[in-house]
Amino acid sequence: MDKLLLDKIMGQVSKPARYMGNEYNMVEKDPDDVNIRFAFAFPDVYEVGMSHLGMKILYHLINERKDTYCERVFAPWVDMEEKMRENNISLFTLETKDPVSKFDFIGFTLQYEMSYTNILNMLDLAGIPLKAEDREEGHPFVIAGGPCAYNAEPLADFVDLVALGEGEELIGELLDLYADWKASGQSRISFLEQAARIPGIYVPRLYDVKYQEDGRILSVKPNTKAAPERITKRIVKDMDKVFYPEKIIVPFMDIVHDRIMLELFRGCTRGCRFCQAGMIYRPIRERNLDRLLELAERLVHSTGYEEMSLSSLSSSDYSQLEELVKQLMERFSHNRVALSLPSLRLDSFAKEFIQEMQKVRKTGLTFAPEAGTQRLRDVINKGVTREDLANTVTDAFRSGWNSIKLYFMIGLPTETEEDLQGIAELAKLVVDSYFQVDREIRQKGLNVTVSTSSFVPKPFTPFQWEPQDPIDLLREKQQYLKNALRSKYIEYNWHDPEVSFLEAVFARGDRRLGNVLLSAWRKGARFDGWAEHFKMDAWMEAFGENNIMPEFYANRKREKDEILPWDHIDAGVSKAFLWKEWQKALKGQTTQDCRVNCTGCGVSRLGEGLC
Amino acid sequence: MRVLVEYTREERVKYISHLDLMRTMQRAVRRAGIPIAYSQGFNPHPVMAFASALPVGVTSEKEYMDIVLEQPMSLPVLKEQLNHALPKGIAVREAVVIEDKTPSMMSLIKRADYKVTAAGVDWNQVIEAYTGASEILVEKKSKKGVTTINLKDAVYNICKDEENGEVLHLSLKVGDSSGLNPLSAVNALLKLSGAAKNEGIDLTAAVHRTGMYLIREGQWVTPLALNID
Repeated sequence: MDKLLLDKIMGQVSKPARYMGNEYNMVEKDPDDVNIRFAFAFPDVYEVGMSHLGMKILYHLINERKDTYCERVFAPWVDMEEKMRENNISLFTLETKDPVSKFDFIGFTLQYEMSYTNILNMLDLAGIPLKAEDREEGHPFVIAGGPCAYNAEPLADFVDLVALGEGEELIGELLDLYADWKASGQSRISFLEQAARIPGIYVPRLYDVKYQEDGRILSVKPNTKAAPERITKRIVKDMDKVFYPEKIIVPFMDIVHDRIMLELFRGCTRGCRFCQAGMIYRPIRERNLDRLLELAERLVHSTGYEEMSLSSLSSSDYSQLEELVKQLMERFSHNRVALSLPSLRLDSFAKEFIQEMQKVRKTGLTFAPEAGTQRLRDVINKGVTREDLANTVTDAFRSGWNSIKLYFMIGLPTETEEDLQGIAELAKLVVDSYFQVDREIRQKGLNVTVSTSSFVPKPFTPFQWEPQDPIDLLREKQQYLKNALRSKYIEYNWHDPEVSFLEAVFARGDRRLGNVLLSAWRKGARFDGWAEHFKMDAWMEAFGENNIMPEFYANRKREKDEILPWDHIDAGVSKAFLWKEWQKALKGQTTQDCRVNCTGCGVSRLGEGLC
Repeated sequence: MRVLVEYTREERVKYISHLDLMRTMQRAVRRAGIPIAYSQGFNPHPVMAFASALPVGVTSEKEYMDIVLEQPMSLPVLKEQLNHALPKGIAVREAVVIEDKTPSMMSLIKRADYKVTAAGVDWNQVIEAYTGASEILVEKKSKKGVTTINLKDAVYNICKDEENGEVLHLSLKVGDSSGLNPLSAVNALLKLSGAAKNEGIDLTAAVHRTGMYLIREGQWVTPLALNID
């Protein structure tokens, strides 16, 4: 990298620290001392990517290996992209500023569908052929992992490998294989075929997809004996033994989640029927209390962070939460480390925690009832009641909180006007609860924020067969809520339904969407998750050019026997269980927390004694 | 106990903003286990203050921050622990004890010196043009809006390096309404000679702060002169 040229463009872009690296705890190695160079790529800007826990874990884990140097690269913001293209600067990593094209691997993490065009853009900026089949000897292998990898079909043309499930063990096996392959001088395809034998590695190119005349899938079959019929996700069995970083990079810049993330457990036993994370991260596996306290201690000292969040899908379900919070408070309140519980569930969130949290610093309180009526909450299996909400917010108001955020979804299966009305009623319930607290006790200035996202049916959930509401209907529902939520104490936020529509298309998409991605990217689509860059027109043109009806993916009801694009992926939870859950949902029957009694989801097949 | 710390900001971290630097220092102080005092109030903050902000892209060998300690600490230990806890590219050079009631560095410091390095610029021509002009108007953007400053009022001294022809020494006013950001000043100078084409800041000229000064008994001294030990 030409330093003078880089200096010149850095002076012309916003937030140049995004591309600077050199943060505290960044790993430094001499590239000449390693055999494998791995570029961990996050397809969004630095502030977003650096907030991601999975990246922190894998970055430091891969760098534990003497033979490998893992470096980071993020999507350059649009101003930087422009300058890079103007000056022929190839996509480079933060650590060494070396071009990504000379690395052995580029690993993309797929956190949300709306980042897919950024992947194409980053490959293009790196000068790497976009289509996997066009890559030759000497080109990096492009690997993708993360939650969206469970249905990576829309990206099948562009990635060489997909990693399913948790990467801590898999990545080591893959890099070992790579080192052997590199020494052997064999062909590119031979590496892919060998990699396909590693459990959890999916090589899309080794599978053929056939379609029926009506557009549905006829079959997905391996085209070589090297590839298994089904690919099963990987999980880590022992959360106390698995690697967790004791040092993490402390950015100079303000990032979205600028704090220590203490991962209490993986998986979730609640079984909310809309929630993909709740299904694909099963089974639940906790870290023990002592290990968590040890990690917390080391991270506080190695980072100097002033805030720690307890990060898990449903942190308040941690079996020893009270003890953990108490001990963390005891150890760290004199260090002025604030604790935050980001994903609170109403029902297990007790009054004591509110008071414990308050000791150090007040952070905002958020609750996610998700649906407005008990009937619909039963359909989605969200076991939260009106009384839970009333009691919890009353406690919060008594303890001095005055700002509450409520999250709901609109467009859920079986939703009626009554359910929308219910959202407004719950918001009013919160307002009323505030005014019932004695004026002397409550904090002045009530502020209730209601946010609705639009339901996106996701693979590997009981709602995977369901259509999404059409855009116009979602707009109508939002308008309804705008009217129903008119109050000087309530602020209403909603998601752009066009974005939710595209999410629904790509979440359940198949390989035919690859060309749509390509067309949309060529038309300038990137940073689609950022409202200021979202270009619906480009997307609709891209669908048109490729004769693809996006409604086929977003708004179509699937039948029980339809072959879904992700059916060759085994996420642990069985299709039969998901269907059973869907039928129960239609009857409004709830399913208990599987820690109370096994619900037979199928994940126990992945190993003995897992749950 | 109030301690004045002199530190560097080197090439590898030159793109961080003043806010980034403050955050970095706060965390380094925490990592170093330095018994810094916290402010009172709803959201307590460590008591630390900085001298004139260094613009994004500029390096420096002498920056200043002053911190208040809750309990006394040996300065060599403080220096060592802080250096250990700082990212590479920021290094503590000196730490001295100053009077508790010393006014802020922000208000005391009146002058900052810079070394500007640019290949292919005829500094003689620049200096000639600068000397010949009676007024060189430069726009200054601040929170209050855009004002126009006369570069000649903002410069204490300007001269070419005696040995290295690519280097210009520039001494600027600080903490005064006629003070200018060094990058704006350098850009105005480059434009004067036709060396800079566009309006934007051109970082192909490397700007490096060599020192900051205040006036004591009629003399320019560095902030370290406030040492009371």
